[in-house]
Amino acid sequence: MGPRWFVGFDSLMESVAFIIAVAIAYEAFKGYRLTKQRTLLYVHFSFAMLSAGLLIDSLAGFLGILARALKGFVAFTLVGYTIYFLAQVLAYIILVFAYVSQTRTLSTTSVSLSLVPLFGFVVLQTAPVPTIRLLGPLIEYHPVSEIVLLFLVFYITVQTGLNYSASREANAFLVFLGFLLIALSHLAFVLIPFSAMLFVIGHVLQLLGFVSLLSMLLRVTRTK
Amino acid sequence: MMRKLPKYRSQMRIYVDIMRVIQRENNRAKPTRILYGANLSHDRLLKYLEELKTLGVIEETDGAERLYNLTQKGIEFLNEFIRIEKFAGAFGFVI
Repeated sequence: MGPRWFVGFDSLMESVAFIIAVAIAYEAFKGYRLTKQRTLLYVHFSFAMLSAGLLIDSLAGFLGILARALKGFVAFTLVGYTIYFLAQVLAYIILVFAYVSQTRTLSTTSVSLSLVPLFGFVVLQTAPVPTIRLLGPLIEYHPVSEIVLLFLVFYITVQTGLNYSASREANAFLVFLGFLLIALSHLAFVLIPFSAMLFVIGHVLQLLGFVSLLSMLLRVTRTK
Repeated sequence: MMRKLPKYRSQMRIYVDIMRVIQRENNRAKPTRILYGANLSHDRLLKYLEELKTLGVIEETDGAERLYNLTQKGIEFLNEFIRIEKFAGAFGFVI
């Protein structure tokens, strides 16, 4: 999918993102244990799910390299992508649910959200990609799956953006920036059929998104 | 639209509000200061102060006037709560 020189770097970046996701899941669980607030439990489950997906996808990537070196064909990357995709869908649905249950309204974002499927339709009409292929229970990379993720992360980005505009706090900005970068990474993944370099850009943006979330976590944990 | 505050404060929120008033008063707060600071009725204040004493996060000082202060456990709990509140707030969630 990406350039040959980038093989392995994507798994390395996902390994770093995995550690950050675990740290956020742990902090959210600590918060839940102290306050018994359900929203923190949702954040915990969401990031725990993300971290599991990232771990499996990065391990599958490394195993895929090994399998290729041993001249044996093992669909590790395909298994990894399928699990990571499903984990991300579940993780972001949990976060979306947390926001919907807290704000109890979709009105301000529903209009902007409706633009995402429209954008997806335009991409699918113009991109030189075959129709989606399901290999048994496995999903091969396809812009449609990335559009689903983009749709979910875009909603979370809007919510965190609204939170930042209301609070004007640095921590809220870092969370907003984190999800914005992750949303942009999915946008890059959607557009891979146009350029293989977007695979690299997508992974870099995803890592930067998680680093932004880590910055927030470090700022919060240093609070006296 | 975001940070829609709940209609009623949770028990945890009331505990923290009381403890914050005590902390604000240099860890020596009179019941009347807590009553106004935490926005509670007299009966509810007495109930919550008893509960917090049972939890070991505040204590009543002996002396001419009744004063309340945070215990070490109380200070640690409050600091941890503030951290968690900032963490949840960064995502836009209100504790």
